[in-house]
Amino acid sequence: MLERFVSCVGTDDAGAGEPAAIRARLRGVFAPAFGRRATILGLLIGGVLREALEGDCDAIVYGSTFGETRTLADFLDSFPHPSPTLFQTSVHPSPVQQVMIDRQQPVREYIPLAGRRCLAARVLLTALLCPADRVVLCGGEEHGSWLSDFRMGSDRSFAFAMVLGRSRDASTQGRLRLEPIGETAPEPSGGEQGAMSLSEFFDLLHARRDYKGPVSAEWRLEVEWS
Amino acid sequence: MSACPDAPWGGARHPVFVTSSNFGVGNLFAYRRFGNRSHLEYGTPDACVAFIAGELGWGGNVTILSHACVSANLGLTLAARQIAAGIADEALVFTFDFLSPFVAGGFHALKILNSESPAPYQVRDVSAIGLGDGAAFAVLRKPSRGWMIAGQTMHNEMHHFTAFPSGGGGFAACIDPLVRLASGRRLWIKGHGTGTLEAGRLEAEAFRRACPASPLVGWKGSLGHTLGSNGLVELAVALESLGSGRIPGTVGSAAPTFSEMVSLDPIFDSTYDGVICASNAFGGAHAALLLCHA
Repeated sequence: MLERFVSCVGTDDAGAGEPAAIRARLRGVFAPAFGRRATILGLLIGGVLREALEGDCDAIVYGSTFGETRTLADFLDSFPHPSPTLFQTSVHPSPVQQVMIDRQQPVREYIPLAGRRCLAARVLLTALLCPADRVVLCGGEEHGSWLSDFRMGSDRSFAFAMVLGRSRDASTQGRLRLEPIGETAPEPSGGEQGAMSLSEFFDLLHARRDYKGPVSAEWRLEVEWS
Repeated sequence: MSACPDAPWGGARHPVFVTSSNFGVGNLFAYRRFGNRSHLEYGTPDACVAFIAGELGWGGNVTILSHACVSANLGLTLAARQIAAGIADEALVFTFDFLSPFVAGGFHALKILNSESPAPYQVRDVSAIGLGDGAAFAVLRKPSRGWMIAGQTMHNEMHHFTAFPSGGGGFAACIDPLVRLASGRRLWIKGHGTGTLEAGRLEAEAFRRACPASPLVGWKGSLGHTLGSNGLVELAVALESLGSGRIPGTVGSAAPTFSEMVSLDPIFDSTYDGVICASNAFGGAHAALLLCHA
């Protein structure tokens, strides 16, 4: 069984909000330059990461199924004169990098994951296996661009971040446990039972809802809020 | 993948880690350019990996990682952690990246694309990255004999997307723990050698300080920079080099070098018992591993 204690939880459910509205809402949270330059997903992730990054941070685990869909679509449409800025901010690890570069805050481990059906299980297992005492787990999606019309972008915008520590303390808000379900015959890719998406995991966090059940064919998750 | 050993890959105790910088993003460009919807089947990391998993008969225990040019290193690290934790019996790490207008256009826009690759790096100031396609796999299991990955490290500078802070402390932060771990071993170094002058200078200086007696080579002048796959593609070459005692030199470069430890010529020496392999990526991301005898 793998276990960590949760503190500093931040969530932002931006739904199908327009980018301009999201930018306007979050602009005051950041320095003007970052509020102007950051991508929408960078702003969302940056907003929920603020409190989590105030303490020591040796490891960040980040999950997103679609990543920077708006920036990616804009970069592809910038050809035949591709934009260097859009290129470097369209890559998968970009949202957290934008935030950390703005803060000039190095971190030993930064582990960006993608995937869809069992992404919650993958990011949780990755975070719970990190050797660092204090791990920041975050993730999010942004709605929009023509990619969403083809289900290649998210149908909603959201972001979450939390700090995972090894022991309970005054800041503890909850506990995460992963238990192996046991050896089973491999299911065909795509047919996974009990798969929890990142969006479903976000809903658990946002509502501070307890949960006990599978998150993939291999793992059972227990979320318990204090 | 025809050489990959049979195992219930993607099963509960046989996880698969797929890593790439770009997955099928070139297909999105193709769709946008030509309008053929078949390209969309591979356009996201998930869709691209689902296709590969279906073709190769993997189960659903597949982790997808994308951290630009240290992607493969992350796959190796996570695989090793699951094995060390007793969660996995064996792990398959598969990595690939192929050239597309997305990649070539992006590096061109950053003004660091060597469009004449493999012309020698040293003749140009900054436009020095020669790109290459790459694919590789590794099966990891608990070490028993032969060569093993004895340690893996990371460091993310988070200073700038494409520039390093003065002093290059991120290189040292990543490699110094491995040099300590390798104490007493006779090492050679496979640097990242991305091809840009500033990165080359900082990397050579960091290794000169950490292990001045070890020869340093870089292979991207030969293989091209295989992007997210380079950590595993070059590990495969390093493994063969250790076994055969024939280490390729720094292809496509010429004197003067940033450090006397840079070896331009191949090295024929079977007495080395370890190599440190390093990779770098956007955001000042560093990853390295120590390969040595179990």
